[in-house]
Amino acid sequence: MSNIDRRTLVKGSLAAMMAGAAVSRGALADTSEPILLGVSGPLTGPNAQYGTQWKQGFDLALDEIMAAGGINGRKLAYQFEDSQSDPRQSVAIAQKFVSNPAIVLELGDFSSPASMAASPIYQRGGLVQFGFTNSHPDFTKGGDFMWSTSVSQADEQPLLAAYAVKRLGLKKLAVLHLNTDWGRTSRDYFVNAAKEYGAEIVVTEGYIAEERDFRSTLVRVRDANPDGLILISYYSDGALIARQARQVGLKQVMCAASSVYSPKFIELGGEAVEDVHVGTRYFPEDTRPEVQKFIAGFKKKYNGQEPDAFNAYAYDAMNMAAAVVKIGGTDRKAIRDAFTKVKDVPSVIFGTATFDVATRRVKGAMNAELVVRKGQFALWDGKPT
Amino acid sequence: MSSWLDYTINGLIVGNVYALVAVGLALIFGVSRLINFAQGSIYLVGAYIGWVAVVQLHTPLPLTIIVVAVAAAIVGLIIERFGLRPLQNSVRIAPLLATIGISFVLDQLVMLTFSPNPRALPSQLPDVRFQVGGGTIGPLDLLIAGVGLTSAFLLFVFLRYSKLGWAVRAASQDRDAAMQMGVDVNRVNQAVFGIAAALGGVSGMLVGMYYNQIDTAMSLQATLKGVVAEVVGGAGNVPGAVIGSLLLGLVESYGVAVFGTSYRNLFAFLLLVVVLVLRPNGLFASARQAPPEPLTGTFIAPSRPVRIPHWALAVAAAGFALLPLFPVSFYVLQTLINAWLLGMLALSLTLVAGTMGQVSLGHAALLAIGAYTSALLSLTLNVPVGLAVIGGGLMSAALGTLLISPSFRLRGHYVSIATLAIGEIVSLVILNWESVTRGPIGISGIPPLSLFGYDLISPTSIYWFSFAVMVVLALLQGRLLGSHLGRSFRAIRDDDIAARAYGLSLNRYKSLAFIFGGFAAGVSGGIAAHLYSYINHETFNTQQSILALTVVILGGLGNVVGAMLGAVALVGLPEVFRVAAEYRILIYGIVLLLLVRFRPQGLLGTM
Repeated sequence: MSNIDRRTLVKGSLAAMMAGAAVSRGALADTSEPILLGVSGPLTGPNAQYGTQWKQGFDLALDEIMAAGGINGRKLAYQFEDSQSDPRQSVAIAQKFVSNPAIVLELGDFSSPASMAASPIYQRGGLVQFGFTNSHPDFTKGGDFMWSTSVSQADEQPLLAAYAVKRLGLKKLAVLHLNTDWGRTSRDYFVNAAKEYGAEIVVTEGYIAEERDFRSTLVRVRDANPDGLILISYYSDGALIARQARQVGLKQVMCAASSVYSPKFIELGGEAVEDVHVGTRYFPEDTRPEVQKFIAGFKKKYNGQEPDAFNAYAYDAMNMAAAVVKIGGTDRKAIRDAFTKVKDVPSVIFGTATFDVATRRVKGAMNAELVVRKGQFALWDGKPT
Repeated sequence: MSSWLDYTINGLIVGNVYALVAVGLALIFGVSRLINFAQGSIYLVGAYIGWVAVVQLHTPLPLTIIVVAVAAAIVGLIIERFGLRPLQNSVRIAPLLATIGISFVLDQLVMLTFSPNPRALPSQLPDVRFQVGGGTIGPLDLLIAGVGLTSAFLLFVFLRYSKLGWAVRAASQDRDAAMQMGVDVNRVNQAVFGIAAALGGVSGMLVGMYYNQIDTAMSLQATLKGVVAEVVGGAGNVPGAVIGSLLLGLVESYGVAVFGTSYRNLFAFLLLVVVLVLRPNGLFASARQAPPEPLTGTFIAPSRPVRIPHWALAVAAAGFALLPLFPVSFYVLQTLINAWLLGMLALSLTLVAGTMGQVSLGHAALLAIGAYTSALLSLTLNVPVGLAVIGGGLMSAALGTLLISPSFRLRGHYVSIATLAIGEIVSLVILNWESVTRGPIGISGIPPLSLFGYDLISPTSIYWFSFAVMVVLALLQGRLLGSHLGRSFRAIRDDDIAARAYGLSLNRYKSLAFIFGGFAAGVSGGIAAHLYSYINHETFNTQQSILALTVVILGGLGNVVGAMLGAVALVGLPEVFRVAAEYRILIYGIVLLLLVRFRPQGLLGTM
């Protein structure tokens, strides 16, 4: 066949040989070599922003881990492979990580199709796939090597429902949700909880991630005559909905899921997101030491930038990975077993995180009820808006 | 019903937004008969230049508009001069691929310069709102409408009454004749690209201000909606593009009103298919307008294919078959498995696009149909996986052919646009038909591949299985091309009128091509489903369709070996460029552009 073919192959086998060389070096148990984690996530493509946010969170956590002496004296490092959140690439990356003995643990991927397509390879290869944004209820069912610190929507949505129904006193709700596996699962949990608390769901509208125009959707919402809008959105679409809701003349209370919790939500939404309520897992004035350390460290490292929810997930995930590797060492199976042993790891999202061995998830996310006031997220003071 | 007034107003407002892109696309299509996939990227570039001007340089609005228009026009001129002009004497399809490559490069450059995080682009107009119906509109709505309508009007006048405008129209009707009459065709093209790019840039900026949000993902979506609007109005018809855009906006808005938000795009694409089938030249084509594509096959020009001796092919196949016996990493094998799966899709597409001349831009839909059928058969009816995959192929052949059949009467670019729409429709049906497809939650726990009771789990066995399936399909297709049937396919591609005169039934042969092609694509999708164990409506997306077309054009249209070679190249290159991290897609785009530039007929040539 043609040259390109041969070249690709030669390169491939060269890479394989180099990987082999790395193994033999690793086998000499050189403590000066860092312990390597694999990360599969989007750095290009439509979800690239989330990959860059992960990196910020990882790097901050690694700085702190190094400052505290590393993993029993050894360095911790990660190899980030760009998957574009595409299942075709995440499976190739999975094979790459599995066949590289230097990798002791894998983090990611971002979207469910990309993550769950790679799960069988990690499971069979005996490498832990630690998905920290994978809320899909079936993610950890992929096998005993799938672990997740993603806040289960079964936990998160009842908290949001309690905020909207019990605290804010909303009785007739309109739910707008991203029509993805995450948005759809969240919606179902939210609707069940809200009904249980005595609210009525007057309309639910699912929209695709690329959508930018919500005016007609909001007319539908208006005609259903709700007293509150629930946004199960990310920050960019959440900001768009809030702006357009004000433009079409909706003045109802808005209450959003924690995934909008980002300074970008306020930057993109402007005045329209004023008084939007957000149920989150932490907040800037939170007195918990791990939160203060995270926020202060983040601002210092990134020129005063405020961290957002995805930064926090990544930061927590890296700290959890470090805690697990401390117990499990560099043996992949021992690391899997370490997930069952690790206890009370300080966490921005959970306070302290301990895995539920049956579900391989962490329960008991913290709860903070915030509201946007004067262009800032602030703890809600209990006053109606 | 005051709500209907609101839906109407909202439809017109969003239609305005689409019109800005559609006018630029229409202008370029009118002259060079090219769907400019880079128009969305120019729109993106304009939005970010606008951001620099507004947020960093604090320019007032009129100056911002001028800065963005000039900068975008320069980008447009560069694209025309270095990306497209060198291709003007090559195959019609080459510039199309070039615009796809250019859009990769531009999008990546913007992403690398500005980071992928969305940014706020504050509006520079006073924040006053006018009450209209139940909602309000602002000055930006009026400005966008003004820019859209004014530019359409000015372009209409320019094309009809100015000398350069005549030259543009002459060049669009017959390039060679115009040249003989002394029209400087290059200057005409430059003028058109400059104007269209300036308009595209300004529209990106205005839309960014409208939503107070710009991000690097806005480019593809803008192109998609712009293409739909433009074709509804009549490709190449500038005032038609504006009306098409407003109509699209209205249909979407009423669709939301009646059926709900998740059906919105379904209506947009159904509108497109209906218009294409009923009025292939668009709603506003005049009766005396010349047919949009030449009657004979200059769309896919024949070239001398590279003949590879059979023994060389056999050696290569044996080499690939024996590869897992050598110490290659599973990563290399997995990458090649991806290449074989893409290769099956490319075989399918190269048959319908290359051999038959029906350039499909919705081929990922066939993957999705095959994948869902196979997954559901094995999960809910406990059909053995091997049979389920074949079932996926059959379903894809049947359903794909049925869905595509309304577009059999279309030619050239119109087929591409119709298939693009059909692809989107399939994806949206999968999203909404929850009782069968489980909607956005997707299907998880799909059993792994197995054959006669043996699970194929190791990368080596999956490698052999997928390679064998691809080779069998390739041999069948090679046999098909050499037969009387293959000759009939090519006859229809090269001159359908002559073919009909010889008694060939076009619809029957087109159906046969799609049945065979649909089967290959469906099998590929079915294998992928069992490989991934989880699929949802996003697994097989538009980018897959575009990638498949890129593979086929790169390998050489209709060329069976070329399809497989192209698949290996386009799966392999991004992996090889991994060392370049964030830059890899940029490098990939540049390599693609260079390949098109120097091998426009594809690596192995058209068959």
